[in-house]
Amino acid sequence: MKAETRNAVAAGAVLLALCAVPFITGKFTAYLTIRIMLLGIFAVGYNLLLGQTGLLSFGHGAFYAAGAYGLGLFGVHVSTHPLLGVAVGVAAAVLLALLVGYLCVRHTEIYFAMLTLACGMMVFSLVWNAREITGGDDGLIGIVRAPITLFGLADIPIARENHFYFFVLFFFALSVWAAHRIRRSPFGLALAGIRENARRSEFAGVPVRRYRLAAFVLSGAFAGLAGALEALLESNARPFMAHWTHSAEPVLVSLLGGLSSLTGPLVGGAIFVAMREIIQRFTENWMLWFGILLLVIILGFRGGVVGTVSALFRKATAPGEG
Amino acid sequence: MGEPLLSTEKLSNHFGKVCTALDLDLRFEPGVLTSIIGPNGAGKSTLINLLTGHLPVQAGKIRFQGRDITRLPIHERVRMGICRSFQVVNVFPELTVAQNVMIPVLARTGRAWRPIRRLSRETALMQETEAFLEKVSLLPERDTPATALSHGDLRLLEVGVALAAAPTLLFLDEPTAGMNPVERVRLLDNIRQLAREGRSTFVVVEHDMDVVFSLSERIIVLHRGEILCDGTPENVRADAKVREVYLGDDVSDLFRYREE
Repeated sequence: MKAETRNAVAAGAVLLALCAVPFITGKFTAYLTIRIMLLGIFAVGYNLLLGQTGLLSFGHGAFYAAGAYGLGLFGVHVSTHPLLGVAVGVAAAVLLALLVGYLCVRHTEIYFAMLTLACGMMVFSLVWNAREITGGDDGLIGIVRAPITLFGLADIPIARENHFYFFVLFFFALSVWAAHRIRRSPFGLALAGIRENARRSEFAGVPVRRYRLAAFVLSGAFAGLAGALEALLESNARPFMAHWTHSAEPVLVSLLGGLSSLTGPLVGGAIFVAMREIIQRFTENWMLWFGILLLVIILGFRGGVVGTVSALFRKATAPGEG
Repeated sequence: MGEPLLSTEKLSNHFGKVCTALDLDLRFEPGVLTSIIGPNGAGKSTLINLLTGHLPVQAGKIRFQGRDITRLPIHERVRMGICRSFQVVNVFPELTVAQNVMIPVLARTGRAWRPIRRLSRETALMQETEAFLEKVSLLPERDTPATALSHGDLRLLEVGVALAAAPTLLFLDEPTAGMNPVERVRLLDNIRQLAREGRSTFVVVEHDMDVVFSLSERIIVLHRGEILCDGTPENVRADAKVREVYLGDDVSDLFRYREE
């Protein structure tokens, strides 16, 4: 109970701080915070698959792209309503994840990782080549941030950066809350069981493949949400969202922050975006430096930044236990 | 004899040229505590693996409560009421003792799909979990991660996870392997007690002959994938073929644990 209260207070404090960001900092910091939140949504959902279920996917960029293109195409051809667009984007990601997941979950470990990689790259080349529909390598342009109309009762404008910031913050908070609840739920426990011992899970009566698929689709939905929001942020959708280098981002971010906690991917995401910004000021080859940093963290911080810090914290507060 | 709980028809299995099950026709009656014994490599574990779905059946049929389950996946057999424990401890290592037992309870009651509900609010689940922990005397360890348990407690947990699936037919693969005598007595008492309660029918694979003869109402002796002898402990003890196999193949097996 005590720990739970402490976590709730900490979450509240972070939320307040996030609310304050666009008022007390410049536009650029607010923009970076949006990027951190988007990567946070992507990674927190992804970690339900990697950290909770124990499946390493290299294809989640495809679902991110499905979210972006889903919202974009819906916006261009049907309606620019942002909430509807986000819903369509997530639905597109879910459908694609169902299809890809159905093919991939019959394998695990490296086979699973390679299958997801292959599927992701197929989606990438599909988007790249279907120029009439997706705009090809130019990306899908002309995505607008129309105001949110709520049944004609109210119009909430999100065109301005400050307004859009809160639009993203809303979905970010919702995603983190959902991921938190999923991790603590019976379903989350079943997923953890699969990660710990898939064979035994079957002998516990858990239809392992179906649960893996569910976790896959769920994490795909988070990716789709992040993708749809990015399409709104940047007013475009780009094929590189589906590229495997983008699929690797939530993997890196989760490793960086720590796989075994909810906050791990969030902290990892913040570090990732901040490091990229800082390093890019000095050099074009930011991936080189980021790689070195990642190496240091993986070798030096077991369980990621969050894992190491919380282990230190536990040691400091309970010195009696060796 | 009434309707058998589980029966096999010409069940066979080969690993290359090694035959581990040959045309096995077996019936397991409800409520009869059965042991399966045999020298190493006799096909005891193979038999359990075939019956529980761990190994695909190469030839033959398995029926459970009249239904053909030969090709049924593991989790569906578990749902029908067939479960097992493992010879080598095979639990959820990073989860707590209570969580280990919760997973089968959740799966059985169809509550494992709930994604948003808090685990701590599932009071019925908590009660049921504690009842199972009580049965294997692990309630004091409920919040200990499985990795931190002693070997004996791990074996108890192994059985506890299998029990929590509430099976009608439960296979225990060497449940007392590596236990000290005190722990062994405790576990066997638990098994006897549970068998008497009558909710599950136990089939036990064991090496320890003291255990086998004191526990079982029926003993099946396997040898090179075939049934050498099948009957009450007295029948088996008196059987000339059994003596021959045990004395011929592996002198120590039958008497090994007596000497300890």
